[in-house]
Amino acid sequence: MTEIAQASPEPGAGAQPSGKTAGEPARVVPGQPDMWVLVLFESLLFTAYFAVYLFHRTADSEAFLRSQAQLSAWLGTLDTLLLLASSLFMLWCVQATRAGAFRSAMANAWITGLLGVAFLVSKVTEWIKLVRGGHSFTANEFFQYYFFLTGIHLLHLLIGFVVIGVIIYQLRSPARRSRDLVETYAVYWHTVDLLWVLIFSLLYVVR
Amino acid sequence: MNAEPRRRPLIAWLILSVITLAYLALDRYADNRDTYRASSVVTTIAILLALVKARTIFREFMQVRHAPSLLCRLTDLWVFLIGAALLGSYFAGLAVR
Repeated sequence: MTEIAQASPEPGAGAQPSGKTAGEPARVVPGQPDMWVLVLFESLLFTAYFAVYLFHRTADSEAFLRSQAQLSAWLGTLDTLLLLASSLFMLWCVQATRAGAFRSAMANAWITGLLGVAFLVSKVTEWIKLVRGGHSFTANEFFQYYFFLTGIHLLHLLIGFVVIGVIIYQLRSPARRSRDLVETYAVYWHTVDLLWVLIFSLLYVVR
Repeated sequence: MNAEPRRRPLIAWLILSVITLAYLALDRYADNRDTYRASSVVTTIAILLALVKARTIFREFMQVRHAPSLLCRLTDLWVFLIGAALLGSYFAGLAVR
């Protein structure tokens, strides 16, 4: 499990595999293929939820719009910007790991986690505000979808915190450092971001 | 690390952030003052922008652009499937209501 550690090229920065012309970038799957199977499966599963939601909202669009008006597009935008920034730092963490700059990689992983915590706080604050305003899970169909989709997304975020914890744990010790695992966990974190991007547009913006 | 690998993600993030902020303009355009109005145009634009963002996340943040072409095509297919499912279910809902 102690792969790399020393500076290794950015994917696409090196010369290449057989069958490729000299200087053509190496093409490698970032992380483990198993994680990609999970990512593609999860995105399809969420897409099924989204499709059911979109189909149902057209049946009673006025009621959905009245409930949607209780959400703050500004807060949703802020949440999105937080997760996008966290993904940026996660990518820098991966790049630093590949370059053997482990202190920088750890710093980037910590910032990723803190941005995730900021998202969590923002989301829980929004939930509390909505519930206090009488818009709980049982209020109507829109809020059932809202709490279900944001709830399972938050569950994925919590798993993401465990993932970041493992990355930091691994980066702390030369014996545990593994570029492959850092890349794999990073793919998971980006998936959390990807799913939120879709949830944000469907819950806060579509009409 | 040289500057290029660090700069490119930053540019991708800036593009994603600008698209996110564009949602606020779309949100304002969608409504009549404080009254929310149903709009197929706004819904379609919101979904298409989300798909652009999803593909950018795949290509740049998940670094699929460096991956074997199979994964590149697979993720593009996924974005297409997501778009088809979302737009299809929305317009199917409108057609049968």
